[in-house]
Amino acid sequence: MSTYRIEIDRSLCSGFGSCVTEAPAVFAQDETGTATLLVAETDDDAVLDAAGSCPMGAIAVYDSATGEQAA
Amino acid sequence: MKHDPTFWLLARAGGLTAYVMLTMSVLAGLLVKSRPFKALKPAAVTDLHRILAMLGLGALAGHAAALVLDTTVKVSIPGLFIPGLVSYRPVWTSFGILAAEMMVLVYASFSMRKRIGPKNWRRLHWATYAIFGAATVHGIAAGTDTTRPWAFSLYVLAVGAVAAAASWRFLVPATPARGRRRVTPARELTPRQGEQAA
Repeated sequence: MSTYRIEIDRSLCSGFGSCVTEAPAVFAQDETGTATLLVAETDDDAVLDAAGSCPMGAIAVYDSATGEQAA
Repeated sequence: MKHDPTFWLLARAGGLTAYVMLTMSVLAGLLVKSRPFKALKPAAVTDLHRILAMLGLGALAGHAAALVLDTTVKVSIPGLFIPGLVSYRPVWTSFGILAAEMMVLVYASFSMRKRIGPKNWRRLHWATYAIFGAATVHGIAAGTDTTRPWAFSLYVLAVGAVAAAASWRFLVPATPARGRRRVTPARELTPRQGEQAA
């Protein structure tokens, strides 16, 4: 099982909210709708789908162990 | 000399293909959030949305090139870009030109999203409804296959599907995640993680 480190480019976030739908344990939206992280790292594979579903490509997911970008 | 129909056929096929790709890309875009089919992963649908738009632009390039090369309808290269220069049904061909130019703009806005910002990117995406509308009008009014039952059915199906998907997108409440929207102060994170570990 991999552990993932997540980064959100908040300047790119359009508040679409698909990341929250995909991985509600990891992402939330603040009062402006901008995505925020609930945790910095997770082993929840749903973050890969969350990153892929972002229409702005604002979410980067890295493998914590290797540092390689996973999504 | 007998008229070679190759480019004329390619022009029609290219135009119809571009329209089908545009329609499917719009549908995919509308499905990302509303998720009427739970089995479809939004990540895959998002990819599909972009790929279909790209294929649509490819078909559009083919449509344009074939129209210049063909002699059935006289279209010059400037005529491809400037509305009103084509003598064949000038109003309806202009709808196609404007739809194509807006489509290029919306497509390119993804690469420029950092520069223009997410708000403008989103605003620009609203133009897609105008693009789809203009492309439909262009296809029906300038296309020479419209009177054929298969072509007319295609337009009816495309408009119906986009209208249905758009209604679903805006009338049916989105996934429950929106209701769960909340702000988590950073200090809440540590005890939560502690709870999970315990």
